[in-house]
Amino acid sequence: MKAVRKVASYSLPVFVFFAYLFMYVPIIVLVFYSFNGGQSSHQWQGFSLIWYRELFSSVEILDALRNSLIVAFSSVALSIVMGLFFVFYSSKNILQKFLFAFYGSLAAPEVVLAVVLLSFFSFFSVPLGLTTLIAAHTLVALSYVTPILYSSFKNINVSITEASLDLGATEWQTFKKIIVPLLSPAIMGAALLVFIVSFDDFILSFFCSGPSTMTLPMYIFATIRSGATPVINALSTLLLIMSSLVVLVFTLFRVRTRVF
Amino acid sequence: MYVPFVFIIFVSFLKDIDYSVWANFSLQNYSQLFSSVYFIIWGRSLALASVTAVLCLAIAYPIAYFLVFRVARLRNILLFLLVLPFWANFLVQVYAWFFVLERGGILNSALLKIGIISEPLRILNTQFSVYLVMLFCFLPFMVMPIYSSMEGINKSVFEASFDLGANRWQTLTRVVMPLSSSGIRTGFFLVFIPSFGEFVVPLLLGGGKNMYAGSLISFLFLETKSIEWGAAFTCLSGIVLIIAVFVFNWLLKKVFGTDRG
Repeated sequence: MKAVRKVASYSLPVFVFFAYLFMYVPIIVLVFYSFNGGQSSHQWQGFSLIWYRELFSSVEILDALRNSLIVAFSSVALSIVMGLFFVFYSSKNILQKFLFAFYGSLAAPEVVLAVVLLSFFSFFSVPLGLTTLIAAHTLVALSYVTPILYSSFKNINVSITEASLDLGATEWQTFKKIIVPLLSPAIMGAALLVFIVSFDDFILSFFCSGPSTMTLPMYIFATIRSGATPVINALSTLLLIMSSLVVLVFTLFRVRTRVF
Repeated sequence: MYVPFVFIIFVSFLKDIDYSVWANFSLQNYSQLFSSVYFIIWGRSLALASVTAVLCLAIAYPIAYFLVFRVARLRNILLFLLVLPFWANFLVQVYAWFFVLERGGILNSALLKIGIISEPLRILNTQFSVYLVMLFCFLPFMVMPIYSSMEGINKSVFEASFDLGANRWQTLTRVVMPLSSSGIRTGFFLVFIPSFGEFVVPLLLGGGKNMYAGSLISFLFLETKSIEWGAAFTCLSGIVLIIAVFVFNWLLKKVFGTDRG
């Protein structure tokens, strides 16, 4: 009986250990082989950085990286500005009631959102490209940004705004000099979150970008489909490092995102 | 933001998107969709989504339980490791599994070494690999909400439950599960809804042999460019998904109870 108990008390940690193992083994192997000297993906041929060198000399990848960065930065900027205006200028009650509407685009599978936007664009014959991509990403970004900004705007004491208005500041001055600085931690958090969401997004970009524009995740997808080269290992490793840094920032500064 | 959503419903009733709008309003797209081929596709997607979500729940629940109630010192680092794949690029995660599953990959070589098999198995491009990768890629989505709902449980409920004569199993099923049921439901749908529309994993790891709802949507929109038809299929898939969500919500409340007791 005692032995059974002992086994039982060890089974949970062992189970958790194996779950983590399964989550991390593929990623670790991937990182490991990105430093491989040869073409093979299952034979170690010595340490080398050739795939990283190749990565930074590929015009296609750098082009995709540039597109990804343009889209990510524009959608961060647009969504933050729009989110701030939503939060500040719409009266509290209205936003409170309609806050759930911002979750809508997250509640549907992303494919659905993507084709919804695609059919919208094609009905009005908007040519697909960077502009449509930025519009699509901004829309999704807003559904992350607005609730985050709103929840910290709610915590700002109303009397601060009132004091500012009483002391003769215009609404715009109050917005610029009082509200935005007070919200800056939330703005930073939301910006980082949205940046990574946009930068990593594949499905929306896949549908809304048209034939000529390619982002980094789209490049990865195309390469995997046509038979991956070790350059992808190097690229993936760099992306993993980037997202780990972001997660580290989130944990260190205790940024509360919505999902957890 | 909701204009496009209303819009796709409208487009789905059109015969052809290019001609004058009101002239070719029809139900043609929908009548074409009531054929067994499409029901099989919805069925397959529902199967994939529900199996993924149920297996995720089965694995995620013990993990969350362990993180909340069993570890103290390691908790932060284990949480960090759990959140990390959550933010990592989805494609990178899927791609990483190639190293494990391919013919000369580590799973095959490990099995060969142990001597369970004598010849490499074909794992890539099978249903098995699709389900396996879906499971592990969506696992963090399930653990996080369950973790945060369990975190709020007052530890003294265990003592209360044991004092009142319940054994461990009864405490788990009658006390802890109902108290964390909102997290279970959130996690379930965070996995179920995206899996229903998933097309990347079946395409890359399943060899694209089987059509899922997501794959058909992307096929109709991007390969054949039949936007009206794709719109109709998307709308019906949405309805199928909504019905499924309601059914599972009811089912989960039945099985795990609600926190209101």
